[in-house]
Amino acid sequence: MSFEVALLLSIALIATVIAAMFSRSTSLSLIMLFYSSLILGIIFATYGGILPGLVHIITFAGAVSVMLVTVNLMTGESKLMIGSFRLALLLSIVSVPVVGAATYQLLQGVSTSSTQPSIPGVTSLFQFIWEFRSWDLLILIMVFAASMTVIVNLFSRKS
Amino acid sequence: MPSDQVVFIVTAVVLVFLGLASMVYSRNLIKTVMSFQVIVFGANLTLFSSGMGSSQAYMSQTFVLFSIFVGASVEAVALALIVMIHKKYGTLNPWEIRRLRH
Repeated sequence: MSFEVALLLSIALIATVIAAMFSRSTSLSLIMLFYSSLILGIIFATYGGILPGLVHIITFAGAVSVMLVTVNLMTGESKLMIGSFRLALLLSIVSVPVVGAATYQLLQGVSTSSTQPSIPGVTSLFQFIWEFRSWDLLILIMVFAASMTVIVNLFSRKS
Repeated sequence: MPSDQVVFIVTAVVLVFLGLASMVYSRNLIKTVMSFQVIVFGANLTLFSSGMGSSQAYMSQTFVLFSIFVGASVEAVALALIVMIHKKYGTLNPWEIRRLRH
């Protein structure tokens, strides 16, 4: 991987974090934090850490972002202003062809790769999770279970 | 030209300091949790980049995984506490909460 890619990803990460931390709107901060989670997961996955990258995206860009949005809406701190309707429409018009083209390219890659004998490579790619990471997964389940117990205890109190 | 590892370590240090600065600067508990998340990002990136290109890459990735889940769990607990605080005091400003306590 070239040095420029690392620099570009790092700059994107720092820019999104600065936008998240120093914006006045909490909703904008949430959106920017979501993007920074995605970028950090991409960094991990690009530089050899496929499992940490995927877990990072699933945990922070998925679960934690949803929790933050929920708390934001529950406490009424969010000013959910979408902004200009025309801008949103323009962005939708631009993004739909891009997503369509990306999906088409992805599906084309799958169809071409299925003709090649690359299945053993894919199997060995994920095989290390179960060979080396079973104890890690157990520890993670324990940590999650402990935190969920605390949360359930906090919410179950009536007073 | 610096290597990828140096670039990522510098980025991680910047992230940690940005998170600390935002934690001091913010007057909203949700923003404080977000700042904590940024500090966790910096820690994860440091752990990951410390194992890049060495034979200990799996070890560092294991620590990253552990850090991800501990960070997410801490954030979940912090958000639950924020909801409780908002129910009790009606605000998320730490200075206002301190004033209302006394």
